Amino acid sequence: MADVATVVLTGIGLFFFLAGTAGLMRFPDTFSRLHALTKADNLGLGFIALGVAFQAATWREVALLALIWALALLAAGTVSQLVARAALGEEETR
Amino acid sequence: MDGPKFTAILHRALLLGGVWVVLTGGEAKGLALGAAAVPVALWMSLRLLPASAPLRLWRLAGHLPRFLAGSLRGGIDVTRRALAPRLRLAPGWVEVPLDLPPGGRAAMGGELSLMPGTLAAGSRQDRLLVHVLDTDAGFERTIRDAAAAITAMTDGAPR
Amino acid sequence: MTLWLSFVAAGVLASLAGALWRVWRGPRRADRMMGAQLVGTGGVAVLMLLAPLGSWAALDVALVLALLAALAAVGFVKATSPDGAGDPEEEEETPRRKADG
Repeated sequence: MADVATVVLTGIGLFFFLAGTAGLMRFPDTFSRLHALTKADNLGLGFIALGVAFQAATWREVALLALIWALALLAAGTVSQLVARAALGEEETR
Repeated sequence: MDGPKFTAILHRALLLGGVWVVLTGGEAKGLALGAAAVPVALWMSLRLLPASAPLRLWRLAGHLPRFLAGSLRGGIDVTRRALAPRLRLAPGWVEVPLDLPPGGRAAMGGELSLMPGTLAAGSRQDRLLVHVLDTDAGFERTIRDAAAAITAMTDGAPR
Repeated sequence: MTLWLSFVAAGVLASLAGALWRVWRGPRRADRMMGAQLVGTGGVAVLMLLAPLGSWAALDVALVLALLAALAAVGFVKATSPDGAGDPEEEEETPRRKADG
């Protein structure tokens, strides 16, 4: 049962990762690419963390997976703003 | 020290302590080190972002399901666009006036960046710059909801 | 299960190839940084997937990698700000043309 959950969830995670990369490669401008990177990848990482959590044996592993995802989510939200802002400055001074 | 400020500092101490327990797995030796590490981390966090008023934790918890659902929709939306045979994008910019404390502004931008179709690019004067992936899809509506939610959480903080 | 997790890890690694392509092609510095960010997130995902196969200590490595990826991006942004050291919003004083996307 736990194995089924792992297979399904990590599969969904992989799908979002591939989609994020597709967006990063296909979208026409810097800011649109940043949308794809921020949203799809963190969802992918979240599903993979959830899937792997079904294989964990102790509470500490589950908590660590949650902590890593929370950190990645927080970092993505903050970093995407900073990178967008930097790209905006670069565009304006060009 | 007045009440709300003390509560804000207590919240941070509990959060940092909780992270330490997860990192060390709750071993006795690790906890002893934490008795030194957590206060130092707390001191540094207060240097970087002084405590003002505590977050309304129950509102934060109440907002969590909507945040997760929103970021799920955001990921699905961008996935659909990335995998569609023909790209349907109409990127554009929106400027939103903001009335939030400094930490709230960053939180708001971070939240928007994970919601469908919107991406914050910092602020200019008191207006948040938001990049919209498709100006025809009405993504701008979510901006007001996010601002209301963050305002409710930081209720009482000085502007 | 070992087979499946290895397969997913390989899939994530394959998607990182796309990110490296973006680092190579650019065209702007922000695009290259995004490619590097994706490599960071993907690396974290691969480490998570390998944790049940080898040792759960891989999660500690994943945590450190996630932290470093975030710091790398902050370093990049600081380096591209007007004076090369500050926050990107400090150009505020000089009025600029509004970007139209």
